Amino acid sequence: MRAASPSGRHCTSLLGALASLLCLAGAARADDASSWLEMETKYIFGFTTGSGIGIEGEKEFTVDTIGRFGKRDGHYAATETKYEYEFTPSQFVQIEFGALGSTHNIGAVTGLDGRNAAGFAGGFAEFRYLAVERTSNNPLSVTLAFEPNVRLIDETSGERVHNYEFETTVNSDLELLKNRLYAGFNLLYEPEVTWTAMDETVREATFGGSAALSLRIVPNVLVGGEVWYLRHYDSPTLSAFTGDTVMLGPTLYVQFTSKMFMIAAWNAQVWGREVGNSLPLNLTEFQRHRARLKFAWEF
Amino acid sequence: MFYQIMMPRNLILTMVAAIALLYAAPGLAQQAVEVQLTYSNSQFQPSEVRAPADRPVVFRVKNLDAKAIEFESKSLRVEKVVAAKSEGVINVRALKPGRYEFYDDFNDKVRGALTVQ
Repeated sequence: MRAASPSGRHCTSLLGALASLLCLAGAARADDASSWLEMETKYIFGFTTGSGIGIEGEKEFTVDTIGRFGKRDGHYAATETKYEYEFTPSQFVQIEFGALGSTHNIGAVTGLDGRNAAGFAGGFAEFRYLAVERTSNNPLSVTLAFEPNVRLIDETSGERVHNYEFETTVNSDLELLKNRLYAGFNLLYEPEVTWTAMDETVREATFGGSAALSLRIVPNVLVGGEVWYLRHYDSPTLSAFTGDTVMLGPTLYVQFTSKMFMIAAWNAQVWGREVGNSLPLNLTEFQRHRARLKFAWEF
Repeated sequence: MFYQIMMPRNLILTMVAAIALLYAAPGLAQQAVEVQLTYSNSQFQPSEVRAPADRPVVFRVKNLDAKAIEFESKSLRVEKVVAAKSEGVINVRALKPGRYEFYDDFNDKVRGALTVQ
């Protein structure tokens, strides 16, 4: 008897998750969501960012940690935490900035030096512009975002570097069922340049997109799932393709109070390939798992 | 010589007129619509209001109760705390047709809606 392949198992899991979401959506329709308050969609899709830009005059402090786990061999765990201040100066623009902290716990991974370190990793800013706004007659909302990052510690290896990353995204979402079911879509282009301690210059880019579904099961809790397809290039012009990956996983959003919420998300690499390597998955440019945990306080 | 003297004056007048038009035109085209709301006995009065499309809206919220409220709306993307026995002014961009809900964030059972047509 042929054993189920990992991708087959993941497909089955995905279909199961989608079926569960649809069942929950059916049950959700039975309830009356018209009495629920409208949702801010920015953070309800896990790693996928919704189009929300907040409310004019609103300020928010967040602690947002992304962990990346697992390479081809050895043990690999790296985290990056954003300590972020976010504000909305107008009804169309949102600005964020903050500091980055990172940790690296790496041992016996081919191509990476072993290390166990934590430190200040750099800073970032983000500018978001709401290009298409949702109304009761139009369920689609689209925001354009630009996020420059400066890093002193390499995200993957933990080495001392000077890295400049310019993440550009299109964040869109659709309200499929009023106050209940939302679909999110991201398009990502992330060129970066790194100067290493050895005076090497590395130029690269990541390009890809995501799709996510999020269901509001009770007024303050949303659960969902997302899928990401990412391509890596050794050139910001997307001319030197080195590999790609598909990541998939569940998402959770919990609103504790009207001014405090959290999100949690986990993605597993379910498919990947590296140019010049026939082994399954892409564990050179990406990781086996990634997880996100974010807490936010509005004031 | 006359031509040389007049040209700068004409140019200046044209520029002044253009700048005046630039400032005045949006104001004329998009004069704000004022919406008056009263908050008393934990209710917005009226709770359903209307405004024309593509015109900025100014909410004047008069809080007659003895406690502060926070006028808030996710779809209008505004919030403002209005102290007890006082009035708050909330400026909203020109809106597309649709229904925009608002509520008191300190007591979110108290709701209202703006219908833009």
